[in-house]
Amino acid sequence: MKGLAKSLHDRNLLPYVLLVPVLIFFIVWNVLPLLWMVGLSFYKYDITTGEPLKFLGLTNYKGIFENTGIWQALSKTFWFVIIGVGLETILGMALGFLFWGSAKMPGRRLALTLLFSPMILTPVAAGTFFRLIYDPVFGIANYYLKQWFGITVNFLGDAKWAYPAVLLVDIWMWTPFMILMTLAALGSVPKAELEAAEVDRLPWIKRLWHIVLPHGKFILMLGILLRTIDSFKTMDLVYTMTSGGPGNATELIAISLFRRAFEAFTMGNASALAIITLLIAIAFTSIYLYILNYKERRA
Amino acid sequence: MAKRVRQGLYYVLLWLVSIGFFLPVFWIFLAAFKTKDQILAIPPEWFFTPTLENIRNMVIGLNFGKYAMNSVIVSLSAVTIALIVSFFASYSFSRFKPKGTDFLMFLLLSMRMVPGAAVVVPIYLMYTALGWKDTYFGIILFYAMFSIPFSVWILKGFIDGVSLRYDETALVNGGSRFHVMFKVVLPQVKPGLVAAFIFNMIFVWNEFLFNFIIGGKNVTTIPVALASGLYKTHGVDWTFIASLSLVYMLPLILMIYFFQRYLLVGMTFGTVRGEV
Repeated sequence: MKGLAKSLHDRNLLPYVLLVPVLIFFIVWNVLPLLWMVGLSFYKYDITTGEPLKFLGLTNYKGIFENTGIWQALSKTFWFVIIGVGLETILGMALGFLFWGSAKMPGRRLALTLLFSPMILTPVAAGTFFRLIYDPVFGIANYYLKQWFGITVNFLGDAKWAYPAVLLVDIWMWTPFMILMTLAALGSVPKAELEAAEVDRLPWIKRLWHIVLPHGKFILMLGILLRTIDSFKTMDLVYTMTSGGPGNATELIAISLFRRAFEAFTMGNASALAIITLLIAIAFTSIYLYILNYKERRA
Repeated sequence: MAKRVRQGLYYVLLWLVSIGFFLPVFWIFLAAFKTKDQILAIPPEWFFTPTLENIRNMVIGLNFGKYAMNSVIVSLSAVTIALIVSFFASYSFSRFKPKGTDFLMFLLLSMRMVPGAAVVVPIYLMYTALGWKDTYFGIILFYAMFSIPFSVWILKGFIDGVSLRYDETALVNGGSRFHVMFKVVLPQVKPGLVAAFIFNMIFVWNEFLFNFIIGGKNVTTIPVALASGLYKTHGVDWTFIASLSLVYMLPLILMIYFFQRYLLVGMTFGTVRGEV
């Protein structure tokens, strides 16, 4: 073993040998399926009819750009991300500041565990149970709405309400993440500077602007970006709650993709859409890394 | 005195916020101890005589043991494989910086940023063609692949934090590379390993889509059982879903209680360090 390692090292092969397992995983589970998918996106492939593959060229892509359903799904996803992440950020930052002074709180660990529990909840379980909570007859949400405001809302059955109802669950699940990131951002602010501000009796708005923000904004940015990427991927939660319905009221892009592939079984069409979402995801990742590197270059 | 009262009220407020976020989870947990009529009761029953009947029925019920075993086997082996493979790769990335390191790290991360629904289409086609559908081999290695990017990012960050001097000293003193990797570097990156382990566990444990599509009756895990338990002959089987959710969530909740200081590292792919 030792001899082998030495000879590998002498020939400078070790760095590459160590990478082999990851590369195998990468090639078998990413490159191959990706090429497969790129190939398929040029074909008509309907797995239920058993028809032979038919070459279509760019027709699938053209179909996607002409299909209004896709644009609707994209715009629904877009708003889902903007409103969801926006509110999660505002709420998360407010609550994060609120928790700033909690270091000596009795039972802090338990409180934080409860606070962070929504984000580790199995999305399938959450989605399923919210169907009950939102139910117009048996749901607890409607019971209290009726008690307090005298109204009943068919949250998931009414096309007008389903979208905000689903969004609300997403906000509940992921605001704790932004609280976590805000706490981390606040933790990265040097204590000495805060103490100096205390001595100078700087007004709190100035402390926020001149001390907290410059130190904390990097972590907050990462938090917002990670949420943006995750929110763009939302699938399990919404699918178990509404399956994209009623109609297509909550059909986000991931659900649209899933329905094309596994409800309509039009694999060629789904592949073309998958490639487009892939490109969007890569763009997000690039922005994320750009910000990460930007910080490193400045540090 | 006034200061202490204010302090006390502040803590009460924080506790209320925490409990507020926990409330829907708590509502699910409560349902696990209710009868079906109590779950569907209007007005909602907050106080009732708890029953263990649901959990008992679920545990002795058909296939629960199998699904639970599947969840444990699949997640543990996938994450372990991913950690080993990732440790090798991140050591190489961190110490030798082979050509294309940045690009590979980028590719790895973008893999995880892609919506699952986009990945599942080609994987499904490939698995059907190769006969890997509904096999432990297929599902475990798939989840391992999905856990690698995250683990590489976390571990590389931690290995970067271990000074090169350690490697050099050990090498000069006649230690082999493997000695350096496993006896010198590995012990120092334990927190990274724990963080990567926990967060990949959470992901694989909760994952539904891939198991649903490329799994089958042999490798069904609990999230899929949950989703399919929805439709029994008499409508939705709420007692089953509630007790299953409770039993399935407890390990994760205990994990974030006992390993809370890894939460931040984990949730941010290791790009943010520190504790909250």
